[in-house]
Amino acid sequence: MKAFTFVRARSAEEAAKTLGDSKTGLLHSGGCDLLDRMKERVAEPDMLVSLCDAEGLSDIRLEEDGSIWVGARATLARLAEASLVQRFLPTLSEAAALAASPQLRHRATIGGNLAQHTRCGYYRHKSFPCLKRGGDSCPVRAEGGVQEMAGIFDNETCASAHPSSIAPVLGSLDAELVIRNADGRQAFVPSFESLWASPKKGRASDLALAAGDVIEAVRIPARDTKQFVGYAEIRQRKAFDWALVSCAVRYEMDADGKIAQASVWYGSVAPTPWRAGAAESALRGKACTDETARTAAEQALADATPLAGTTYKVQLAKVALKRALAAARERA
Amino acid sequence: MSDDAPQDAAARGLTRRALFKGAGAAAAAGAVFRSLDAAAKDDAAAGPPVQGPGKTAVTLQVNGTERKVEAEPRETLLQVLRLPLDLTGAKPVCDRGQCGACTVWLDGEPVYACNVLAVEAEGRKVTTVEGLGAPDDLHAVQDAFVQKDALQCGFCTPGLVMSAAWAVEQHGEDLTEEQAREACAGNLCRCGTYPHVLEAALAAAKHAKKGD
Repeated sequence: MKAFTFVRARSAEEAAKTLGDSKTGLLHSGGCDLLDRMKERVAEPDMLVSLCDAEGLSDIRLEEDGSIWVGARATLARLAEASLVQRFLPTLSEAAALAASPQLRHRATIGGNLAQHTRCGYYRHKSFPCLKRGGDSCPVRAEGGVQEMAGIFDNETCASAHPSSIAPVLGSLDAELVIRNADGRQAFVPSFESLWASPKKGRASDLALAAGDVIEAVRIPARDTKQFVGYAEIRQRKAFDWALVSCAVRYEMDADGKIAQASVWYGSVAPTPWRAGAAESALRGKACTDETARTAAEQALADATPLAGTTYKVQLAKVALKRALAAARERA
Repeated sequence: MSDDAPQDAAARGLTRRALFKGAGAAAAAGAVFRSLDAAAKDDAAAGPPVQGPGKTAVTLQVNGTERKVEAEPRETLLQVLRLPLDLTGAKPVCDRGQCGACTVWLDGEPVYACNVLAVEAEGRKVTTVEGLGAPDDLHAVQDAFVQKDALQCGFCTPGLVMSAAWAVEQHGEDLTEEQAREACAGNLCRCGTYPHVLEAALAAAKHAKKGD
């Protein structure tokens, strides 16, 4: 690692102000992803602004309006175990419990999980050119590039995949991001979709946030009607592995037993968490049957653009959606 | 868990809002905001504490003893434990949070010492395999590793002992094989001694109480 100055911010506000002033500093929370990138010298900040001493950022609590507030520093271990999350946000608890290993879950925070960079081997190895690191093209797309972990959507310029399995769950729950700006103000990202930015030359982060923006919390809105939620992920190993594909769904039923409104999100299929709008449309107005799930899965993947090495992910993604819908039905 | 799913709660007429009021959590939430605001006002002028990039004094609580070291912010807890402190139980193997050979407890929770910065560990309780038991007074899990032949080359062993011991502390005599498996999922053993490791964890748990 290159030497750096370590700033112990005592609040999100202080972190945001320090980052805004520094221009080259990076935010440090659990460090699981960041320290890896620094050891590979893919990230070489001269300053880390750490939230390790910041207070009040790991609360998980019910708000007065019924929404659930999850502080950005809440660890995946706490998301998995907190009774409030298990009770009201079961898919979030499930995805957190499946992620990584106990050692990482005790360090990894929900904010850091969203901010983590792609696991693309080319991005993380300095000897390769990479669009995200300022190169002219994506080596995954080049002839002979290893493609097996690449994305199957939005992969024209960069075939990376966003690895978070927490993000699709938060997307399906319409989570709202609470941000602290460099000028100290608190702001809200209006929709989970608008939190993300597609890859472009020289942009390593997948978040559409300004320098100095600090994720302070994730807020999951309350609902007046009964919610059906399901989560499924498919991976190579049962223990300690990344999801090859993850899928989270949420839907509501109307009085006739038909799906009134649905939300379908994927992880690890695109450079950002991926909303499957076509599947949402296919589910609307239908009873939640196996046949409906099959149709929705076909629709979700109709526009996929897999590379030669990732055609298998198309099938996995269909299966993941069917499993997530089945999980939602079974829970009910 | 399915009993507590939100749709069931809604079906019983129990909403999050009602639960919130019932629990009286409003006061607690308010207290958090007040303390944050007060802290921000007090410290606005002073600015946050800054360390490095050169050597900085770090005081660690390791295995119940206060240890003072000089470390750069870029030094990991693993580096500091091994070199100045000569606690070589935690092993540097992958140095990327993937193999588990450097597993230690931070405030009683298992972490990879390779992805914790030494400066971050200041003021927190660090437990290494050396602090778990002594050669003439082994921790139940260490003893069970010997009894069950739970090691071959031994390189992963300190990490696996820390993970298995955490499982025993967490669950005591109720520890199930599934829980032991999950607790050790973040530790790789290339000799493949996993079955004996699980046997050792379960054997140690038989005589343990939660939080021992």
